[in-house]
Amino acid sequence: MEISLIKNKASKQLLWIGIGSIVMFFAGLTSAYIVRKAEGNWLEFDMPLWFTISTICVIASSATLWFALQNIKENKSATIFLIATLAIGLTFTFSQVQGWDDLVAKGVYLTGEGSNPSGSFIYVISLAHLLHLIGGLIALTITTLKSKLNHYSKDNYLGIELISIYWHFIGLLWLYLFLFFSYS
Amino acid sequence: MSEHHKETFITKYIFSLDHKMIAKQFLITGMFMGVVGMTLSLLFRLQLSNPGESFAVLEFFLGEKWAPGGVLDPNMYLALVTMHGTILVFWVLTAGLTGTFANFLIPLQIGARDMASGFMNMLSYWFFFAATVVLLSSLYVETGPASAGWTIYPPLSALPQAIPGSGLGQDLWLIAMTLFVVSSLLGGLNYIVTILNLRTKGMTMMRLPLTIWALLIVAILGVLSFPVLLSCSLLLIFDRSFGTSFYLSDIIIGGEALHNTGGSPILFEHLFWFLGHPEVYIILLPALGIVSEVISVNSRKPIFGYKAMVGALLVIALLSFVVWGHHMFLTGMDPFLGSVFTFTTLLIAIPSAVKVFNYLATLWRANIRFTPAMLFAIGFVSTFITGGLTGIILGDSALDINVHDTYFVTGHFHIVMGVSAIYGMMAGVYHWFPKMYGRMMNKKLGYFHFWVTFISAYGVFFPMHFLGLAGLPRRYYTNSAFPMFDELTNINEIITFFAIIGGLVQLLFIFNFFYSIFKGTKATENPWKSNTLEWTTPVERIHGNWPGEIPTVERWAYDYSKPDADDDFIPQTVPLKKGEIEH
Amino acid sequence: MTGILIGLIIAVSLIVLVQLLRVNELISQVKNEDPNLVNDEDNNTQGILAFSIMGVLFLASVLWQFKYWGIHILPPASSIHGATIDTLMRVTLALILFVFFITQPILAWFTLKYRGNSKRKAYYFVHNNKLELAWTIIPSLVLTPLIIYGLNVWNDITNTDTSNSKVIELYAKQFNWTARYSGDDNTLGKANFKLVEGLNELGVNMNDENAGDDIITREVHLVVGEPVLLKMRSQDVIHSAFLPHFRVQMNCVPGMITQFGFTPTQTTAEMKNQEGDDFEFVLLCNKICGAAHYNMKMKVIVESQDDYDAWIYSQKTLKNTLTVK
Repeated sequence: MEISLIKNKASKQLLWIGIGSIVMFFAGLTSAYIVRKAEGNWLEFDMPLWFTISTICVIASSATLWFALQNIKENKSATIFLIATLAIGLTFTFSQVQGWDDLVAKGVYLTGEGSNPSGSFIYVISLAHLLHLIGGLIALTITTLKSKLNHYSKDNYLGIELISIYWHFIGLLWLYLFLFFSYS
Repeated sequence: MSEHHKETFITKYIFSLDHKMIAKQFLITGMFMGVVGMTLSLLFRLQLSNPGESFAVLEFFLGEKWAPGGVLDPNMYLALVTMHGTILVFWVLTAGLTGTFANFLIPLQIGARDMASGFMNMLSYWFFFAATVVLLSSLYVETGPASAGWTIYPPLSALPQAIPGSGLGQDLWLIAMTLFVVSSLLGGLNYIVTILNLRTKGMTMMRLPLTIWALLIVAILGVLSFPVLLSCSLLLIFDRSFGTSFYLSDIIIGGEALHNTGGSPILFEHLFWFLGHPEVYIILLPALGIVSEVISVNSRKPIFGYKAMVGALLVIALLSFVVWGHHMFLTGMDPFLGSVFTFTTLLIAIPSAVKVFNYLATLWRANIRFTPAMLFAIGFVSTFITGGLTGIILGDSALDINVHDTYFVTGHFHIVMGVSAIYGMMAGVYHWFPKMYGRMMNKKLGYFHFWVTFISAYGVFFPMHFLGLAGLPRRYYTNSAFPMFDELTNINEIITFFAIIGGLVQLLFIFNFFYSIFKGTKATENPWKSNTLEWTTPVERIHGNWPGEIPTVERWAYDYSKPDADDDFIPQTVPLKKGEIEH
Repeated sequence: MTGILIGLIIAVSLIVLVQLLRVNELISQVKNEDPNLVNDEDNNTQGILAFSIMGVLFLASVLWQFKYWGIHILPPASSIHGATIDTLMRVTLALILFVFFITQPILAWFTLKYRGNSKRKAYYFVHNNKLELAWTIIPSLVLTPLIIYGLNVWNDITNTDTSNSKVIELYAKQFNWTARYSGDDNTLGKANFKLVEGLNELGVNMNDENAGDDIITREVHLVVGEPVLLKMRSQDVIHSAFLPHFRVQMNCVPGMITQFGFTPTQTTAEMKNQEGDDFEFVLLCNKICGAAHYNMKMKVIVESQDDYDAWIYSQKTLKNTLTVK
């Protein structure tokens, strides 16, 4: 019993420190953005509409995942909410790709002649975020399968808790990035 | 609790989950890379002392392409310098030092059966191994390995037209570094969680040995700074491979104007040194921790000012995040910013001074037992003083104008973080060898190894200060292009002489190491009469560290020569006597 | 053949080494003690050795190096701010040498004095707040004036008034330097890397009215006592303009213009008198930039106003170079 408690605590700590590390990664990228922007020669443009849809996805998926966690705490099945989260997560991925298409349509390119670091930064940072989110999607898929196979119960829902922490963090990260790009 | 599954050869020696085995894997890989890195440095030292002369050994190692007729090619010279720096900084002194001692000591000294996650730990080693393979493979690429210096400043590192090493060699370098960062992060996360959660009963934070404190702080530094290196190289990878302009602007190379505009190479330097400076302390702090432990045990005295030692480590770690600009005084940065960085940089002298004086106070009225480990620890104090003092010159922006990128810098950082960290590592290996392999290393060879190393290390790096103050730039293929440097030739010859001696004697150490693994005299459980928990484990290594219950900790780690005690050491597991004050 | 010989020597010495170790261990087995544990005799020899090597040999070698190599360090500074840097450098050097020659002998002395002895017990000394406070505060007190002094020098150097300085551009590329004098108007014509073509090797925009009188040269000539402002650009990778005699150094970064202002105080002729006939001021590259990094240099000449005038009139302005085909 005691050992499983320690494991519980240690896993969460592991995740939190890992999150700290991811925060530093994005802090590095966004501070590079700020430093670079301050030097001038900077292309200004509006965020694509699809990125707003991404933001809605992020909020919605966090909500469904929150319900999943509440359900399992009350010993009800979390599967349906997990599947919903997964679906919205996939929509997010789709909306990101659409957002990049929008950018290209606006003449904001990742690279090549006529590209500007302001555009390149958006692509690279959102791509880096998306990769982190896809990692979350993989973990979420595994959690969903386990939930389907009744691996979780009122006394044992560490997996759902961990993916919740990570998923909310990735969501918040997107929110931060979105506001950062829109208003900085 | 104990999961006694049978260990096959593969699970025991290769995909081992046991922290002690993983530590040995790190150590031996680190030692191997140390030999490689050292060999590279000897090759370019030959060129520096005898520019343009032909050496069979150069042709033997580098082949007809890079050393035609035994004369080193200038591009290869820069490649050797780059690879020497990369290997020593990251492979030997980060992974080889922290990887070895964090894995080995953390569970043993805090009283845990293993790391929080053995699997992550194993993964950490194998990522490191993969990084090693990729990095070494870049030595055999047709266009040569990365050649833009270990700091890989773009545009030089971004443009294969500027230097051949920035082609495939640089790609492999970046891949290797990415794998390396993943390995460090996996390891670092594990170290932190293990130290915070798996301490045995009674092991409060203020009873932790200083090694563990140092390793904890290093792990935190690593987890916070390595991701920034990753983001910095991510942007570089995009610039190199996909034509973005984060770091590139207004460039004509090979007679062709590039399309890139608006990038800033200075941005790279900011991001790089935001990691790069904490990295220096990632190298140094484990050595400080090991040396504190070794000095205390072999002085038969408590480490002086334990709390101040912990405090100094914390302050150094904090300051390391706000001093990166001192590498960039001459990049045209705002002079006011330069002033701020000068101020923060020189502040580091204060906690460093505290550490030095505390070491001296520990040695005062001690009863010093000169094991080879102790000699290396004392050598560390000497080099730490010497190298720390010259740092005061380099940290001062006004003085930096004159010595920036000269041999003064090379001399400074080799003494303060190169040689010092190597001494710390050596002290650790000699000290914990009996626990790692159950045998003793040969003492006489150890003495010989230390004294020759001490003399040749100072023989190599002290004269470099004179070269630097004479204005000699580093990373020059030869100094013969400027008549004003001709009078420095004999200094360069002396440096190379000592470098060769110092290099050869390391082979003796490696011989001693492997000889002792198999043929050394059998060690007892606690040969150094030390207090910490690792010395309560049996000589024969077992999975889980202690055969029975994990011992409980009753006192701090430094009760040496306590008055009224029967012996001159009291292990941490011995309960306080009635009326005995802890310390 | 040499290969076989070397291999043979290595093999033989390995065998000898192994045998020596075996003998050593066999003898001690007879004595029934682990030869690799440290005894009083070892402590004695190592303590004495430590003092002789760390305390005597090392410190003596440092003095020896200062005696024989001291003449090379800090070659005479030939600029106004260079002299202030040198003073700061000497003060700092004196201070760190002072600390060095106190702490290193203490370390060496302790190793000798407190070398181990099985009959003795060390002094249990855990901490002492007063002492620790003292060696936190004393370094701080010593450092504070040093920091302030250093920052003052730095501010004087970086914030000099350059409005009356002669503006000269240093243009770096793999692997040479080019200088551009700003001409009579003392203003450099604008430049863009896209305009680099043929004779216009610095990409000067000839539509800029300040450009015509600019002069491109392969040497830097300076007038003694006259302030100059160097503006640096780079064509390809990061270079660094280093003029060791003037204590001037600044990176040249592609896409950026950096600058450094200073005033030379001695002519080349004067320096030749002092230092010998082969003396020359040089500009060298001090940031790793490629294969010929070690050989990227330009001659710098400091001379009187008259000599300078004679030289500059003999140079062609950009207008002449670019229009005369």
